[in-house]
Order: sequence, then structure tokens, then C-alpha cells
Amino acid sequence: MEESGTAKGIPQDLGAGLFLVAVSLLALWQGADLDAGTLREMGPGMLPRALAVLTGLCGLGVGTRPFWSSEAQEALQAWSLRGALLIMGAALFFAYAIRPLGFTVAGPVAILLAALGGKETRWIEIIVFAVVMTAFCTLLFRVALGLPIPVAPWLLDY
Amino acid sequence: MDTLLANLTLGFSTALSFQNLGLCFIGCLVGTLVGVLPGVGPIATIAMLLPLTFNIDPTGALIMLAGIYYGAQYGGSTTAILLNVPGEATSVVSTIDGHQMARQGRAGIALGLAAIGSFIAGSIATLLIAALASPLTALALLFGPAEYFSLMVLGLTFAMVLARGSVLKAASMIILGVLLSTIGTDLETGEERLTFGLSALSDGIDFTVLAMGLFGFAEILRNLENPEARAILTTAIGRLLPSREDLRKAIAPILRGTGLGALLGILPGNGAVLGPFASYSLEKKIAKDPSRFGKGAPEGLAGPEAANNAGAQTAFIPLLTLGIPPNAVMALMVGAMTIHGIIPGPQVMTRNPELFWGMIASMWIGNLMLLIINLPLVGMWVRLLQVPYRLMFPAILLFCCIGIYSINNSPFDVVLTAVFGLVGYALHKFGYEPAPLLLGFVLGKLLEEKMRQALVISRGSFATFVERPVSAGLLIVAVVVLVVAVLPAIRKGREKAFQEE
Repeated sequence: MEESGTAKGIPQDLGAGLFLVAVSLLALWQGADLDAGTLREMGPGMLPRALAVLTGLCGLGVGTRPFWSSEAQEALQAWSLRGALLIMGAALFFAYAIRPLGFTVAGPVAILLAALGGKETRWIEIIVFAVVMTAFCTLLFRVALGLPIPVAPWLLDY
Repeated sequence: MDTLLANLTLGFSTALSFQNLGLCFIGCLVGTLVGVLPGVGPIATIAMLLPLTFNIDPTGALIMLAGIYYGAQYGGSTTAILLNVPGEATSVVSTIDGHQMARQGRAGIALGLAAIGSFIAGSIATLLIAALASPLTALALLFGPAEYFSLMVLGLTFAMVLARGSVLKAASMIILGVLLSTIGTDLETGEERLTFGLSALSDGIDFTVLAMGLFGFAEILRNLENPEARAILTTAIGRLLPSREDLRKAIAPILRGTGLGALLGILPGNGAVLGPFASYSLEKKIAKDPSRFGKGAPEGLAGPEAANNAGAQTAFIPLLTLGIPPNAVMALMVGAMTIHGIIPGPQVMTRNPELFWGMIASMWIGNLMLLIINLPLVGMWVRLLQVPYRLMFPAILLFCCIGIYSINNSPFDVVLTAVFGLVGYALHKFGYEPAPLLLGFVLGKLLEEKMRQALVISRGSFATFVERPVSAGLLIVAVVVLVVAVLPAIRKGREKAFQEE
């Protein structure tokens, strides 16, 4: 598995702080045209802006910890982006396929994609498993519990 | 006392109906089933099983959810004892002596003691909830917006202090959670805030979406990184029922643990997490031979297990009476109740008495069921522990997707969950705990509402929060808690308390 995203030796809290600062800037940008109002009559923008500023300040505090706190010397670990992307990709596929293609497609493909994100993939085992799980979930959620999950709209209108 | 009896009678007559009994049983069973899986904590378990309750009436659904919750807790201790893998922070202590007992071939006794301790604790805690519910609800009705605001601030302060690791980082997570809660339509003006122009975000982020992303999905990513360090259980389970001698020795620790856990569980802001730690150190302190601890001392398992269960249960008190969830799991219960059209708070008891007392009665029934179903089924749970993770995680992912999709039949919710899954993974890499974020998120909406109401009443003067005595008192406690937590001497003790993790 390729490890990417970080060089060795970046302090964990530096990254952690930058993350918060980025979130804060994003929120400030999104909330820029909201009216803050006054304390007596708070507008919609007051709290989001105040919280975004607080988040940014926390980010500065956390980000500088490696320079003043002896407890914050841990280095940022490597990220395994391949697993993260494949597994979240499985969920995304499920989201976009469930309505047009139904669970009979979205279910097994999501399982196979997710399994690809793992460390070891045994093909025959996982294919059998995907089929069994799809059948099981269809029976449980659609048939027994009556949840409105499209099963195979292209085939059965069900 | 008479009303308490009448209320409990109403509760038991509701909970003992055939349907509700069945739902409680199924809840306990599937809760344990999922909770026993290593790497799946109670939050992910409840979020995953939420869709099972959608087509049931609200009372039945809540009874089932409560069953799922206890089952998940119980399943977590089973995993902790047998595999030395704690499902969540509160079962960490059970791994110390519980797993040692298992290694010495006394796994069955350890599981039995844990079950009996949990049952005793659960029974006492249920009574406590029933007794405290009416007076606390009456108190809650006297609370104005300012008091509510200050109480939530106190709760969040506790959550900050009790989180693992740096207080500053826990505070950051709470603030981030509150910030996320402001996404969506503004309560008063109806303006859209921070929605990135996405109409799907105009109702705000669904709580279950956030919980499932940060816990369900992110846990998968985290678990995949750690090579499967699965201690394979070689010893047999052995006999399950502890001998009379074992029980005699365990009863005092169980009762002490129950007291500690119940008390800490009521505190706003996840006091329940302290219960097992407090109980363990107490038992170790008063033991004649403290050196036995860590080497399979039954007291070191029975006490904390009782504290764990008592706290898990009394955590319902702030939720049911004040409508304020004290921890992330209870926050999820708020989400579940809202799906069924029930807004937790003091009004539930008067408006839906069968629901309220039925749920309380079913807590006791659930505890009894856990005792009865779990001991005989231990063999099955053990077999479940041997399912390899390479098969488990795709299945967990699929269940999560189905669950999220069916809440609103919205594909976008699944997309958002995946985004939060990545965020959760990033938070883990940056050394942040996601639980305070979740709590901040849930309390955030209430916090804003109450703050704005209070400020309207006081005409924009923040002095209202310190002029009203109850509100001022709560804020003073919050400040004291915070100051105490950052004082160097106490910080050392706090680190020590969490060190065993």
C-alpha cells in the first residue's frame, strides 16, 4: 500500500492546528455575507462568525503546541489514502447507484469496492460474500422491514 | 411513593405487552450481536441498527433502541474480556483483570461475573431513574432559557475535561461541533447559513449522518490500518456461573461500583466514562492485597463492570428529564427520538407517560434479558469473534449505507456520511477525539436557541446569565471545573487516570 500525504517528522499538532484554521477560513468565507446583527437582536451570522473565529484561535493554539508544550511532540503518522478513497468510494457508488440501478447492483459493487480497500482480498470468497449479503439485506430490509429501498428498478419495478 | 408505584405499574404494563417484550428481546440480541464485533463501538452499533426501528410505533422503537444500547454495552465487555479489545473507553478497565481471568482459564466466570454485576447495577439504576424522574422534571420546568444555556455550558465543560488527551484539543472539537450545528436555515430569519449553496444542507446536517461518518466509517478506516492484532482465544470458556465464594467476594465491589457509576453517570458531560476508572482505583485502594490487581482479580472486573452499566443507565436521567444528552450515545438517542417525532425533555413525561415509564420499565426487563440470553449464547458470540475483519468491514459499510439512506431516503446523506468518514479519519490522524465534537453538535442547536431566547428576554444583556442565581451557580461550577482541570497538579492525576488506556 502506498503511503502518501506526509513527509516524516511533521508534528501532529501542527497539522491539527492548520486543519482547524482551514475550517475556520472556510466558514468565514461561507458566512461572509450573513448579517451579524446586534447582541440585542442577533442576526443569523453572529454565531457562525464568532464560532469560526474561535475555531481559528483554537487552531492557532493547537498548531503552536509543539513549540511550547513538551507533551505535543508526536509526529504525524502516514495516511493510507488508497484504503480511505476506495472505501469512501464504495459509499459514494452506493449513493449514486441506489436509485437508478437499485440495491442488486449498488450492494455487491459497494462490497467489492470496499474489499479492494482492505489489505488482503480473496476474490472468490468476497464475491460469494457480496452475493449472500445482498440477498440477506434485501430480505431483511426490504421484505421483512418494509423499508423503501429500490431493489432492481430496471428489472422488476420493485 | 404511591405515584412512583403507579407510574412503574403503568410502565411495566406497557413494557410487558407481547410486542414490546419481543422488541426488547430483539433489541438486546442484535445489540449484543453487533456490539460484540471488535472495533464496533456502541455509537456505530446504534446508528447502524436505527433503521430496524423505523416502522415501529415510538414506544416500541425506543424500547428496542434501549435494548440495542444495553446489548451493545454488554457485547463490548464480552469482547474486552475475551480478546483484550475494548470496544469503547468505558470497557477499557474490563480488559485489565477480565482478560487476565480469561487467560487463566476462568473466562466463563469472568463473563458470568460481568453479567451478574451489570444486572445488579442495572436494576438499582433503573429504580434510581424512576425515583428521580419526577422531581427532576419538576425542576426542569422551572428552568428558563438562561439556566438551560448555563447547564449546557457546564455539560460541555465536563465533556472537555473528561475527554482523553489535551484539554485544548477537546475544546477545539466541541467548538467545531457547535460550528457544524449552525449549518442550515437560521431559526429566526430563515436565512441559509454556511450551506455552500447546497439545498440539501438547508435543513442542517442530520445527526445520524455525522455520527455514522465519524464513528462508523472512520472506525473502519482506522481499524484497517492496524494489522489484525487479534489475540486468538485458545482457552475454553469453562463454567459460567461463579461459585458462591466468588459471588460473596464480588457483591461489595458490585454495590460500590453501582453507587459510583450511577452518581457519575448523572453528571452532564459524559461523567459515565469515569465510573469504571473510579471503581477500579477504589477497589484497588481498599483491597487487602492490591498486588493481585492486574493479575485477574475478580473484584477488579465486577466493580468496574457494575459502574459501567450503572452509568450507562443513569445517563438517561439528564436526557429524559432535561432533554440534554450527557454523552455522544445519548445524543444519538435524541436523534432517534426525533425521527419518531418525540422531542426529549421535561414534557415527555407528562405528554407521553406510557412511553416514558414504559421505557424505564423496559430498562430493567432488558437487563434481565441480557443476563438470560447472554450466558447461554456466549458460545455463539465467541464464534462471531472469529469472523475475519476482511469480511466484516465491507458488511459494516453496507449496513451503514443502507441505514443512512433509509433515514430520509436521501442518497445525498450517504455522500455526506462518506465526507465525514474522511473527516473522522483526518481527526484521528491529528489526534482529536470525535466524541466531544458530536456532543457539541447536538447541544449546539439547543445552545443557540436558548442563548438567543435569553438575550431577547434580557434585551441583549449578557449579564442575564450571571444575574440569575441558578444560571450563575452553574457557570461558576463550570469555571471551577475548567480551572481545576488545567492546574498542573491535577492534570498529572488526570493523565494517570487515563494512562491505562
